[in-house]
Amino acid sequence: MIDMIEKEDPIISEEEAAQYDRQIRLWGLDAQKRLRGSRVLLVGLGGLGAEVAKNLILAGVKGLTLLDHEQVTEESCRAQFLVPVTAQGQNRAQASLERAQYLNPMVEVRAVAERVEDQPDDFFLQFDAVCLTGCSRDLMVRVDQLCSQRNIKVFCGDVYGYYGYMFCDLGKEHNYVEEKPKLVKPPSDSNDGPEAKKAKVDPNETTMVKKTASFCPLKEALEVDWTSEKAKAGLKRTPVDYFLLHVLLKFRTDKGRDPDPQSFAEDGQLLKQIRDDVLEALAVSGDLLSDDFVSYCFSEMAPVCAVVGGVLGQEVVKALSQRDAPHRNFFFFDGRKGNGVVDYFGLN
Amino acid sequence: MNPDYNVEFFRNFMLVMNALDNRAARNHVNRMCLAADIPLIESGTAGYLGQVTVIKKGLTECYECQPKPTQKTFPGCTIRNTPSEPIHCIVWAKYLFNQLFGEEDADQEVSPDTADPEAAWNPEETAARAIASEKDGDIKRVSTKEWARSTGYDPVKLFNKLFKDDIMYLLTMDKLWKKRKAPLPLDWEQLENHACPQEESPGSGLKDQQVLGVWGCCQLFRHSVETLRSQLEQKGDGAELVWDKDDPPAMDFVTAAANLRMHIFSMNMKSRFDVKSMAGNIIPAIATTNAVIAGLIVLEGLKILSGELESCRTIFLNKRPNLRKKLLVPCVLDPPSANCYVCVSKPEVTVKLNVHKTMVLSLQDRILKEKFGMVAPDVQIEDGKGTILISSEEGETEANNSKFLSDFGIRNGSRLQADDFLQDYTLLINVLHTEELEKDVEFEVVGDAPDKAPPPPTNQEEANSITNGNKDSAQPSTSSKAPAEADDVMIVDSEEEEEEEEGAPSSSSAAAATSGTKRKHQDAETGEASAKRPRTNQSSAAAAADEDDDDIIALD
Repeated sequence: MIDMIEKEDPIISEEEAAQYDRQIRLWGLDAQKRLRGSRVLLVGLGGLGAEVAKNLILAGVKGLTLLDHEQVTEESCRAQFLVPVTAQGQNRAQASLERAQYLNPMVEVRAVAERVEDQPDDFFLQFDAVCLTGCSRDLMVRVDQLCSQRNIKVFCGDVYGYYGYMFCDLGKEHNYVEEKPKLVKPPSDSNDGPEAKKAKVDPNETTMVKKTASFCPLKEALEVDWTSEKAKAGLKRTPVDYFLLHVLLKFRTDKGRDPDPQSFAEDGQLLKQIRDDVLEALAVSGDLLSDDFVSYCFSEMAPVCAVVGGVLGQEVVKALSQRDAPHRNFFFFDGRKGNGVVDYFGLN
Repeated sequence: MNPDYNVEFFRNFMLVMNALDNRAARNHVNRMCLAADIPLIESGTAGYLGQVTVIKKGLTECYECQPKPTQKTFPGCTIRNTPSEPIHCIVWAKYLFNQLFGEEDADQEVSPDTADPEAAWNPEETAARAIASEKDGDIKRVSTKEWARSTGYDPVKLFNKLFKDDIMYLLTMDKLWKKRKAPLPLDWEQLENHACPQEESPGSGLKDQQVLGVWGCCQLFRHSVETLRSQLEQKGDGAELVWDKDDPPAMDFVTAAANLRMHIFSMNMKSRFDVKSMAGNIIPAIATTNAVIAGLIVLEGLKILSGELESCRTIFLNKRPNLRKKLLVPCVLDPPSANCYVCVSKPEVTVKLNVHKTMVLSLQDRILKEKFGMVAPDVQIEDGKGTILISSEEGETEANNSKFLSDFGIRNGSRLQADDFLQDYTLLINVLHTEELEKDVEFEVVGDAPDKAPPPPTNQEEANSITNGNKDSAQPSTSSKAPAEADDVMIVDSEEEEEEEEGAPSSSSAAAATSGTKRKHQDAETGEASAKRPRTNQSSAAAAADEDDDDIIALD
């Protein structure tokens, strides 16, 4: 974990105050200072990663580390605006560095051209928050386990065509504040008559209320038991995106990649097969996920990356600044319908 | 709103997407897209909230189908005599800036208002006061600027007039203070003598976020007056300054003057940071909200380009998920409103005004441009002769400007045809003559919700913001009165959701409101400097049902 001194640095320079003016007016100076003391690891610089990087850099974190082992391809140029089209063949993290840094010179941005799987445990411990995109299920579970115990905030997210999700694990006890309206008690002494008003202070004053939220590990969130009566009853209100996520993560694990438009037919078949297997293994109805999803889950769509990256980015900001209630614990976006849903999965 | 960008220009495109920040421009593009029959994607963001919607002629509501709340204005006597909230003092300070350094405006008086109806003990007195104040004006028609100039913009003399003499005058209007806490005049010398060197503890905050003491305000007042005075001198004869929140002495002046007035009226003073938010109408903005809305705009665009207009939606971005767990709420688009005065085939309105007191210029600027969003109106009277009242060609009808409508034979029941040829928009106006309009009200559109009605106790942004010009009016901000930070939002109540489409079990659709339900329009919240809105009964009840006991949707 980072120095407490860094986090507590009281001085915000005039330059920073000017730069961050419009967001300070929204979330306050304290929140901005905490951001200013935070270091974040971002794994995966695909379309979604680029959006998250941009959002965190503009928000004014202390440092952002971009980690990716993949190379820039023609396809990745389409939904990823940080890599120039001339950068094909280069490492994605490194190719993104220049434009990323240019967004905000006050943030320390660095690129690591390595596999996340190859990083030792203590690599992760230098960060306040870790954000995983394009990672396998096993890796996400492992990193989540490692980090959330140490009060490192963990985020995961991916975009598959029109669909996208975000998951967060902020630990068993995430403390934050919320701004609530202050209740104004009527003056008990009024010698000036019943209608006398004291000259008003702000009509709607607010007060900061301390709260706590609890999160479960990713492993637990993904291993919900659908055979129990309670779970079955809750199934009706459960977004099917949750099951779609299982299918797509399994595809990624089995094939080592995401569905590829170049092999649309085969991958489509495989997706349906995996869908059948997954739903059966989870002991839920095969009807939950119709075949339609297959047509819409290929490739990262830029606008979907923007939406999911925006929500995910804001969750990171909230968690680091410890202000405002975090979404618990999944966010699912369906770009065909325009639906964005928050739901909790895990023992609760 | 350049005439080069006419209907033909718009017809070049399959789709128009707006990323505007003010109502005037939105109204204009709305009309251009209706005229050209091109789909328009409209959107807005403020803070954590945002929305996107699609406008298609004949299929959906246009941007002007639902009346939008106009900028809240305060009655003259509240500003001049009986401020009760910081915003009143800030508005006063901005008026003062204009009176001293900028373009003087009869609607921006800062001196005590003797004709205040509240000041009179009986109705006869009101009338007497009104006459007296008019007479007074005749005798000593010295403008504030002239007076200031005659004293060489001496800060101390200015201070004593505004914060001592004028306040003492207000105190003589004793009925005002019967049920209100009376203001306490300030005296420069006294304050100077009692000033103690305050411990400047910048602490961990921004310098701007400190709240000054009274003497600190006095010094700021003096300093800013001196700086503005020399700015004025440098510009030469007949110079006028335009207030700009990013011009430090202008901002300092308003901070100082507003705070001094707040102190006089027993209100807690505010930091420069907070004053700037209110005076400058600043809408907080963050990258993430804009990213989400931008993504949604493109997704709607893709639907349009694929010929799937029927799948387009209005989508709201909330701060917290609603009862149905939705953070992003899609809603079916509404059909056009039958009473829209823009998109129906023959738009018509009725306007209440006094034909003897309304000038042609007012008709043009206040009614046709500001209220009805025209850019270059042409008006003829339906009198059988087609008499031209206003021509959009410069100079042609200038001679008519200061004449009254009645001078042209316009009276109760008269009809005027107003055209804006650029927007391809014709509006028929029925004139309803009246002698009874509320104080400060020049005209009323029949069917409109009353302008000055106190808003439901929710929208803090409305209460806290007022611009120097007409950010919210249909006039573009090129007028000298207002390059306001015009960020505008079109946030609409997001309680309604569409019915679940997949025919899923009914548990989720039980709570769904139908798309036909009337929606209220709200602007979104401003930043943390201004307070959040309190929950209304509606969402409180909902909140009670929710486990977290937290605000669900902040909008109502």
